[in-house]
Amino acid sequence: MPSVSSRWLPAGAAVLLAAAILAFPSIAPNPFILSSGVIVLNYAVLATSWNFVGGFTGYISLGHGALAGLGGYGTALLVTRAGLPSFVALGLATLAVAALAVPIGMAALRVRGASFVIVSIALVLILLLVFQSWQSVTGGSRGLVVPRPFPGMLRPEHHRVFFFLFGALLGVALLTWWLIDRSRFGLGLKAIREDEDKAESLGTPTFTYKLVVFVVSAAFTALAGGLYALWFGDLDPVFQFSVLTGSYMVLMALLGGVRNLYGPVLGAIVVGSALEYFKVEFGGTPLHLVTTGLLLGLVVMFMPDGVIPALGNLVRRDQGSIREVSAADLRDRRLRAEAK
Amino acid sequence: MPSGPLLFQSIVLGLLLGGLYALLAAGLTLYFGIMRVVMIAHSAFLILAAYLAWWSHDRFGLDPLVSMVVTVPLFFGAGVLLQRGLLARLRPLTLTMMSVLLTFAIALIIEGLLGYAFTGTQRRIRLGYGTAGFEVFGARIAVVKLIAFGLAALALAALYVLMKRTTFGWALRATIQHRDAARLVGIDTERVAGYGFGLGLATAAIGGTALALDSTIYPSLHWHWIGPLMAIIVVGGLGSVPGAAAAAMVLGLLQSLLQIPMGATWAQTVFYLALFATLAVRPQGFFGGRLAQRF
Repeated sequence: MPSVSSRWLPAGAAVLLAAAILAFPSIAPNPFILSSGVIVLNYAVLATSWNFVGGFTGYISLGHGALAGLGGYGTALLVTRAGLPSFVALGLATLAVAALAVPIGMAALRVRGASFVIVSIALVLILLLVFQSWQSVTGGSRGLVVPRPFPGMLRPEHHRVFFFLFGALLGVALLTWWLIDRSRFGLGLKAIREDEDKAESLGTPTFTYKLVVFVVSAAFTALAGGLYALWFGDLDPVFQFSVLTGSYMVLMALLGGVRNLYGPVLGAIVVGSALEYFKVEFGGTPLHLVTTGLLLGLVVMFMPDGVIPALGNLVRRDQGSIREVSAADLRDRRLRAEAK
Repeated sequence: MPSGPLLFQSIVLGLLLGGLYALLAAGLTLYFGIMRVVMIAHSAFLILAAYLAWWSHDRFGLDPLVSMVVTVPLFFGAGVLLQRGLLARLRPLTLTMMSVLLTFAIALIIEGLLGYAFTGTQRRIRLGYGTAGFEVFGARIAVVKLIAFGLAALALAALYVLMKRTTFGWALRATIQHRDAARLVGIDTERVAGYGFGLGLATAAIGGTALALDSTIYPSLHWHWIGPLMAIIVVGGLGSVPGAAAAAMVLGLLQSLLQIPMGATWAQTVFYLALFATLAVRPQGFFGGRLAQRF
């Protein structure tokens, strides 16, 4: 039986999040803060999209940055080369990335654990090579300028519109995650996370499930990447196909907690704000790499389940109610009991 | 059709490069065998060793080869510490995934610190014998490349002898093959695993010195190495040292040959194509046994 608090907490958080997104542009003191807000929201969408694969199936992908980059470049190329309207291009690019995610997923999801991570990193590195070298189409290292979707709009107004667009996208992504979380499909995915062999032997079509959720995740990631391209207006392969983007997504989702609907959003707000702050504070020095690395290391070592479960445990010290317990938790508990 | 000498030169260069790849891939394979850990930071340590070699040459005028006296024991110690202090403390059930993230974090820290200490400027060691070379059948071979290959070959041979002929090597291989059984016959698997990690990281120190001899280095260079290296260990079959060495030689040769018609950048894609092709045809790799299948 879910307790009252666990039923109302998500709803309350949803209202709070919606209110915060609606109110932020009016309270942001200047356009710079507002643009930072857009970036943080973009991270929130990316981290939530990542969490479709990472949270449900436990497959950790460091390559989702590449999918966002593909979405961005796809949108930009459809606008500049094919002359399509911006948002039609965004939709088409998302579909194209989703279609492309099918063969990628089929190759990557054949293997588990370590090999999957290797493939996901390889995806980023290979796309970086291709997009940097293929200058005639992508503009290479000189970058690719994306025309604005709303010409004549002033910059602060532009930020405001995109802030709401990202907010809406975040809402859709969260809703989708919530629906999957409650469905039979979601149960199958979580079974894969806990023990793929057992799940398969119990009749879960593991490969199909993994592939479907990977494609969904890729589509949301591409949407976020495309929307970013339309907002930012300038693409460079080094930033679009960076392993760093993927690692930010992992860090945010892990920090917040991958089993929780709002985990990635919370992580994105914390890490995203910190990243923006470092950018102002340290400027171009490579210290932001060090801080990202340290933070990721600390999270992995000390709270691999994220902040939300860690805080939750502080508040309610194991009441013994039935809640989602992973095989890892059970094993830890057993070991602890044996040690006593 | 490229001319004969050019082709021959590419083959020689490919084999020399393959030797270095083989040494580094052997280190990665060791980590994987011991703990099922994919060590993303391996190539970051490689670049760190290269930087230390460059720095000791730049600062004290030492030959880069001398820097190994310090870096190899240093890296061995760092490897032991890394395994005992960090990786062994992760939860066993999520170890594979979490260790990837942890070593990724270490790679970022190393890259950031290198950039901070030495700036992003490209560095290169200027050696007295740096431009020396000789001709074999019309192909020009630089002496430094030969030294680098010699280093790699020597280190690999030493590793082989260590693994096959010493008691420690037996213990290490037993730990890799079956940890519980190894413990039953009285092997202190925890300590052996730590030393195994140190050994793996020592290969990065030697490889880094070899790299510093004839390459331009910069902090983010490690991304160019980790991709090919990981492709190599997957193609070779995770956990198999001979498999990794064979894959390293073949892919290094292919890369070198493809550089003639395609140019340096596109030739690098051969690693990723090989990776995807392997996963599509034979996910456990071409030399991997039962170990590789599940990871």
